[in-house]
Amino acid sequence: MKYHLITLGCQMNIADSERVSSVLEGMGYEKTDNEEDASLLGILACSVRQKPIDKVYNKIAQWNKWKNKRNLITFVSGCLLPADKEKFLKTFDLIFQMSELPQFPDMIREYGVVTPAGLKTPAVVMPKNEHIAAMWHIKPKYQSTYEAFVPIQNGCDKFCTFCAVPYTRGREVSRPSDEILEEVRNLVNQGYKSITLLGQNVNSYGLDKKGEEITFAGLLRSIGDFGRTSEHEFWVYFTSPHPQDMNREVIEVIATYDCLAKQIHLPMQSGDEKVLIKMNRRHSMDKYRHIVADIRELIPQATLFTDIIVGFTGEGEAEFQHTIDAMEEFKFNMAYIAMYSPRPGAASFRWEDEVSQDDKKERLHRLSEILKITSHAYNESKLGKTVRLLVNGTDRKTGFSTGLTEGKVIVRLDRRDDSLMGKIVNVRITSASSLSMSGEVV
Amino acid sequence: MSLMRPDLQMDESFYKVEEIRTLTGNAFSVKLPKARFAFKAGQHISLGIVGGNQSREYSIYSGENDEHLEVLVKEVENGYFTPQLRRLKVGKMVEVHGPFGKFGMEPEAAKTGKFVFIASGTGIAPFRSIVRTYPGIDYQLIHGVRYAEEAYDSHEYDSSRYMLCTSRENKGAYHGRLTGYLKTCTFAPETHFDLCGNSNMIFDALEILREKGFDRDQIHCEVYF
Repeated sequence: MKYHLITLGCQMNIADSERVSSVLEGMGYEKTDNEEDASLLGILACSVRQKPIDKVYNKIAQWNKWKNKRNLITFVSGCLLPADKEKFLKTFDLIFQMSELPQFPDMIREYGVVTPAGLKTPAVVMPKNEHIAAMWHIKPKYQSTYEAFVPIQNGCDKFCTFCAVPYTRGREVSRPSDEILEEVRNLVNQGYKSITLLGQNVNSYGLDKKGEEITFAGLLRSIGDFGRTSEHEFWVYFTSPHPQDMNREVIEVIATYDCLAKQIHLPMQSGDEKVLIKMNRRHSMDKYRHIVADIRELIPQATLFTDIIVGFTGEGEAEFQHTIDAMEEFKFNMAYIAMYSPRPGAASFRWEDEVSQDDKKERLHRLSEILKITSHAYNESKLGKTVRLLVNGTDRKTGFSTGLTEGKVIVRLDRRDDSLMGKIVNVRITSASSLSMSGEVV
Repeated sequence: MSLMRPDLQMDESFYKVEEIRTLTGNAFSVKLPKARFAFKAGQHISLGIVGGNQSREYSIYSGENDEHLEVLVKEVENGYFTPQLRRLKVGKMVEVHGPFGKFGMEPEAAKTGKFVFIASGTGIAPFRSIVRTYPGIDYQLIHGVRYAEEAYDSHEYDSSRYMLCTSRENKGAYHGRLTGYLKTCTFAPETHFDLCGNSNMIFDALEILREKGFDRDQIHCEVYF
């Protein structure tokens, strides 16, 4: 019995897929990268953009054609909008929310011998997160031996108007800190080097259990304390935080402990106050500026990443100029810039998408040019210096080894050395370009 | 333990419509049984018609302890959803999910704080919920509408705390846009401002308040469109 799983979207889905794999392999299924070999085909979908959803529709159409020739069970989970979910009920055999993962084996067993009739599927309801804890108890089957994702929080209470995640993942629920710490400790003891704490609003951790659970800063401090007693070198990241819940204490804790990576991903989305209000971001540019000032003061060596949406409803040239100004001011090392596209289920879906596609492309290009300049300046400042690098891949063009610094800047090595894979090594930076550096192992 | 067969149990998110309460020619409220979930005044819900395939988000219009869950709706001319909602008969089922959102205030703040609520049109909904939930709250409500008939349920507010601004006729306490009135006001430095309604009103009001020296952290916004 083989299964094939397609994971679309963010690291949350990657972390979820590790738990899905764990459940399936616990049932005796074996993973295959070739979908034609599998009798169980699944997708962890992403609704943040239209493209991945289109991919789900294309895949299931193809798989359902295969059903004429062989027995198959298909399933879909992940971030699903109610409208898509309703359609998927007719095309997939099984649909479940991540909180229902512990019941997934029963769903498959109920299916018995595969028939085209399909299995009763859960009703189309808004996701309820009360049972998410059971999903977290499932031990994941990690896809890497040195990089791992640890979910610490699920859901979102922020209701940004461009996003449907609160309607697909449900309310913010924090995972018990003792479970998180145990998973982190186990990973470190197994030799994992890069551990990313995951959540839709990762730094909102604990806010749903005020007084009963430690805060996000407290969680980081506990991990930091463990790091000090561990003989292993490892870096702990977190993504994605929301500026609304970011505070100086979190930054102080990161500054205090070596194992807390000096890289902060702080989604800005827009540099314009009015656009932020229209996005319902619930943070002002003043607030964002204060956070960045705290980072620069307490962790001057930290790299700063962000997310930006260009062409949101209401973003005229004047508003966009404020985003340009902010990009120049904050000098990001990396910015994930997306052109706005209305998402069904999000509040802004019913607003006029008034910025033309050409203007969006042009704005994306202009911001990308600024990013190249600011990241290049940072990378040049590292020339001749020795940095710690986690070797984690090979360059597609040259075939040489590549890795990420603690600040998650890509460094291309001058040779291929598979023995370094998954290790943290010293590398001297020999050249710098806009979004990466080159170096040699010393 | 339920004695009902699971497949016969009604989804807990389904509510029977108890009343469609007409407020003006194009505004109405949908009254449902008491909410089966705890919510905070200021939050919103997602409302759909059972059997339909669409839903919309509405701020909760009723108070936290009211016997009915109620939302305030403005019918969109030639719209898809709101005309259907308005035509719903008593006893028809709607689907409610939520509550959602962070707009509103903590109970402690409601007891001690000083608030100015600024609403355009149906943006008054979360403020009615707040005022009904916290009868002793120290507030001033500035409501901007086009015509005086859009002063939804204004009799419920203490008249000394409610300021109606009408832009298209001279029948309110202030004739003109609410932002015009706002410019004439003075507020205590510790005042908290909650703004709800259309984005243009919110942007203009925000500018005015900042010009008056208020910190952005004192101003909370909920954009409807």
